[in-house]
This record gives sequence, structure tokens and C-alpha cells, in this order.
Amino acid sequence: MVDDTFLADDLLRQLMSVGEVDLLVGISPHAAANNISPAVNVIEQAFRQHFVRQRVVIVNMGASNAAGDPDGNPVDDDVIAAGLGNLAVRNARFPGISSLRTIHRVSANFSNPPSPGIALRTILAIADLLRARACAVVSPATSNLTPDSIANLLRPIYQEKFDFVAPLYIRHKYQGLLVRNLLYPMSRAVFGCGIRELIADERGFSGRLAGFCLNQEVWHEEAIRARPEAWMAISAISSDFRCCQAFLGEKSQGMKGAGTDIVEVFRQTVGTLFWCLENQQQFWLDLDKSQLVPTFGPAHELTSEPTDLDRHKIFEMFRSGVTELEPILSSILDPETHSEIKNIVSLAEGKFRFNSDLWVRTLYDFAASYHHAVINRNHLVQALAPLYRGMTHSFIAEHENSSPAEMEAASEMLCAEFELQKPYLRERWKAKVEVKS
Amino acid sequence: MRQIILQGLEQVYSNLVHMVAEFLPRFLVMLSIILIGLLVAFVLRYIVRVLLRLTKLDRVSEQSGATGVLRMAHLPSMTELLSRSIFWVTWFGFILVGLSVLGVASLQEQISRLIRFLPEVFVAILIMFLGVAIANFLSRTALLAAVNAGHPSAKILSWSIRFVIWILAITMTLEELGLGRQTVISAFSIVFGATMLGLAIAFGLGGQDLARKSLERYFGDTKKEKNKEPQPL
Repeated sequence: MVDDTFLADDLLRQLMSVGEVDLLVGISPHAAANNISPAVNVIEQAFRQHFVRQRVVIVNMGASNAAGDPDGNPVDDDVIAAGLGNLAVRNARFPGISSLRTIHRVSANFSNPPSPGIALRTILAIADLLRARACAVVSPATSNLTPDSIANLLRPIYQEKFDFVAPLYIRHKYQGLLVRNLLYPMSRAVFGCGIRELIADERGFSGRLAGFCLNQEVWHEEAIRARPEAWMAISAISSDFRCCQAFLGEKSQGMKGAGTDIVEVFRQTVGTLFWCLENQQQFWLDLDKSQLVPTFGPAHELTSEPTDLDRHKIFEMFRSGVTELEPILSSILDPETHSEIKNIVSLAEGKFRFNSDLWVRTLYDFAASYHHAVINRNHLVQALAPLYRGMTHSFIAEHENSSPAEMEAASEMLCAEFELQKPYLRERWKAKVEVKS
Repeated sequence: MRQIILQGLEQVYSNLVHMVAEFLPRFLVMLSIILIGLLVAFVLRYIVRVLLRLTKLDRVSEQSGATGVLRMAHLPSMTELLSRSIFWVTWFGFILVGLSVLGVASLQEQISRLIRFLPEVFVAILIMFLGVAIANFLSRTALLAAVNAGHPSAKILSWSIRFVIWILAITMTLEELGLGRQTVISAFSIVFGATMLGLAIAFGLGGQDLARKSLERYFGDTKKEKNKEPQPL
């Protein structure tokens, strides 16, 4: 039985009136979302269209003052509490669609938006208490959420007995380069499981995985409080839960997560990935091969509308970053790696390329230095940002005219390079770091 | 005459014997105390070294940047430095106690003054160490933030922060030691005030464009800025 003492009395009261459920969809808090009604409507449509016979519940994790109608007007609390429990009202609003079950709505009513970690922990505890079989979490900031995308998250768990469903999106070719060049290939090589969107606002999970994650002693960790998605996915991988990916459509601009502040993004994503490496080292240190996970729907798709990226500025920020942070980088990187980076910094912008083997070694050096805590870990993660900019510039220059297929091939080659150099990570990870006297 | 000389010599000899007889045991006690002190200092150094290694002080020191400063000054690691300090302080204390056994009045006064001064030296060393560690940590934080924000003078900003904290730490250290208290405080006030005024004037006159751009960045239209880099996620 879970420790439910952190759940508020009011929430427990609401849960007692719900009873057991088959499906649960949680709406995560999001600073960018000033109302949750559109998301609730889409979830209800998903239930009506795809899960007519199932017992369902919608859990709102946003602050109590975040609820409102589609026009942004606040919705009366009684209306929220009653939800669409009234079949007549519900069916009148959506003619031609009907459900045999009451769609329960539960609101956590936090006075302020909770951190993502607290929100996820609350959803997991609710899923555990209601014995939900399949759960999904969606963000109210996602502008293009559809009933089908919610069904795509729930169906593999409810019908195919998977435990974790990661989303797949259509992206612009230059969107999500941190995912493409770092998070995905590195996590795939290290943890042996090719989940492309390790950090996403949407995901699905089974009640079994919810119970497992809930009982882990990690909720006080800063990495989990800020961005628990990657940890949840990696926990599923490392504990032999069945994982898959489901196509959700286009990734909306509202799903930027940590926002545009690259330092914050790095802290929350790369910092969490490195923390997971540290936390799960018993699992991955002896792991050699990686495998792809089953995918429902089309695989990763790309679009290529023109963009107004300032490539020169990206390159200048890389160059000045490597120069200014030289003492910090020298304490993190292997001398050979550092020397190679200093060499490419001196190249002209047109000739500059960040080769994949150097990029992989750089990341593995950072991961090992994070493990050995050679400098403050927060500083270490921030020091990676200029190098990522270098990689971004190189990637944009290399793939300016590439087709999606060519970009996918390059991505696969990068994944292979990460796997090829995994022994280097192991070696550096296990090496004893001596403080020079 | 001869008798007087012999009596004088006899007196000197007996005084010498008496002095040696009185001094030798004290000297031997002093030597014993110093030797015991050496032994105790060795044991303490060993214990402190083991304890500090167990608590992974070197890692904390490395993270805070203090090890980097020690390296720059060609000093050993933090664990080694502290354990060696304990050794020398302990042994020095025993040496002082041993010397006081000799009973030399003027020496005793100096020794007691030195012993009274020791806690202040310890506090001063601690203040200096904390100052260096805080200066390194904050200057590195500023450097990383400035570099990642694309600030043109990241290193200058970082060094300014380091310099100000160092000055503050040195001033506090000297004040703790009671060295030229008024002079140090006045000097610090003048240097700090002058630096700040200089920076303000430099920024106001020389960096008008920079100030305008900074203000525009904070209060102006930021949409254009956002598109300069692709969305990382």
C-alpha cells in the first residue's frame, strides 16, 4: 500500500467517491497554461470515442485558480467538481457520441502550481489508490492535443499490456536538437533502449509502473522534482517493464517545457540524464547492446519550413564559450578531447565541423566528470551548453539540404558512435580521480 | 689571594653544578614533552587524515573550487593541508609548553602571548579559506551565466566578483588578526567605493550602447531573440 499521507484530505475524499478505475488521465501543471478546459474537453472526447465501456477519471494537477473555460473565464468550482458526470448534459454537448460510464473529475487543488515532481508523485499515488490499469499524463499547454493522441497513449497499455508509452512527434528538422544529438543517442547507448522522447510532457504508463515508481526513494531529489519524465522512462527500462512509443502528431511550440533558457533546459534535461546515469549505474555498466522499442503509428517525422536561425551568433557563442571556460573545461574533459575542441574552435566558421566521435567523447567525459563530481555538478552541466551550441551549428550546416531520410541515417550513425564508444565511458566512469597534490 | 681565587672558582663551580642540576631535569622534561608532542601530533595527523578522507573533503573542496586555488599556490590537497596543519599546530603547542617548563621569565611571557594569539590565527585562516572558496564558486557561477547568455565581458565580470570577495576576505582576516584595523577598514572602503564608482562611470559613459541593449533585452520585444537558436526540446 502506498504512503498516501502527502495527499490532501479533500483529494482523498474525492478519490473515495470515485472508487476503482480502468483509465486515468492526469493534466500536469504548466506555467504557460492559464486554463485547462480545452485539455479536459479533449480527454473527455477521447474517452467517449475510444473507451466507452471503461471506468475513467481525469485528474487535474494545476493550481485551483488555473481552471477556466476556453475563453479564459474562471469556471465555478461546483461545475469542475461535477464535471461531466451528468450524462444528459454530456451527450447534449457532444451529439452522436455517448459513454456508458461516468467520467469522474478530480482536482488536487494546489494553492500554487506544484513542481512537476510533486505533480507526478500525486498522480502516481492517485493511480495506485484507484487501481488504475492504464494512465496518461498530458500538458494543458499542448495546443494540438487530440482525442486520438490520448487514445494512442492509453491503448498500448490497456490493450497491449505495455507498461510505458513514450510519445513520438512530427518535428521541424531543427527542432529538438538536444533530443536528437544528446538525450536520445546517449540514453539509447547507455541504457540499451531506444526511446526517442525521453523527456516529454506527454506519456502513458501502467498502474504497475506507477506503483513501482511511487515506492522509489527519489522524490526528494532536485532532479526528480524539476523533471521526472526521464527518470520514469529509465526506471521502466532498467526494471524490465515493457516500453513502447506511440505517435502523437505534431509537437506544438507550447511544449517547450523548460522554456527557451538554455541553461535551465540543460539543468532539467541533461542534469537529470546524468543523475540517472549515476543512480542506475548498476544496471548499465555491464550492458552492451541496445534495442529499439515497438512503435505504434508512424515513426519520427520531420518538416522543413524555412527558419530564421542566427547561425553566426550560435557559432560565436560556441567559440567564446570554449575560450572563456577553458579552465573549467580542462578540469572536466580528457586532455586529448579538450585539445581537439580547442583545435576546432580555431577553424573558420565555414570549415567548422563538430565530428560525432569528438562529440560523443565530450559527452562521456562530462558524464564521467559528473559522476566523479570534479566540480560543482550544476556548474558542470552549464559548461556543456557552449559545446552543444557548437554541435548545433555543425548539425545545421551539415543538414541544411538533407532530406528526412538522410537526417535519420545520420542520427542512427550517431547512435552507433555512442554505442561504439561506450567502453570509453565505462573506463572513465570507473577510473579513480585523484585530487592533485 | 690564592685562597680567594679558589673560593671564587669553587663558588662558580658549585653554582654551575647547581644550575645544571636545576636546569637539566627541566631540559629533559622539555625534551620529553616535545617528543611526546611529536608522537601525539603524528597520531593526530593520521586520525585527521583518515577522517577527512572518509568525509570526502577533497571532493567538496574540488567542487567549491578551493582545490584549484591551492593548486595554483602549489599547495597540497585540502585533506593533506589540514592534517599537516593539525600536526604542526599540535607539535608547536607542545613545544611552547615544553619551553615554558624551562622557567625563563621573559620567554614565558612571550609564549603566553603567542598562545593567546593562536585562536585568532585559526579564525583568520578559516575566514580566508571560506573567502577563497566562496569567491571561486560565485565567480564561476557568474562566468557560466555570462558565457551562456552571450555576455561579451564574461571573464571581466567573473574576475570582478572574485576580486571583490577576495578583498573582503583579506580585510576581514587582517581585522581578525588585529593588524592595522583602522587602516585596513579605511583602505577597503576607499578601494571598494572607488571600484564601484569607477564601474558605474565606465558603464554609464563607455557602455551607453551596452546599457541600452541590456535594457531593451529586458523590457523590449524578445520575440526576435528567441528565434536565434533552435528549440532544444
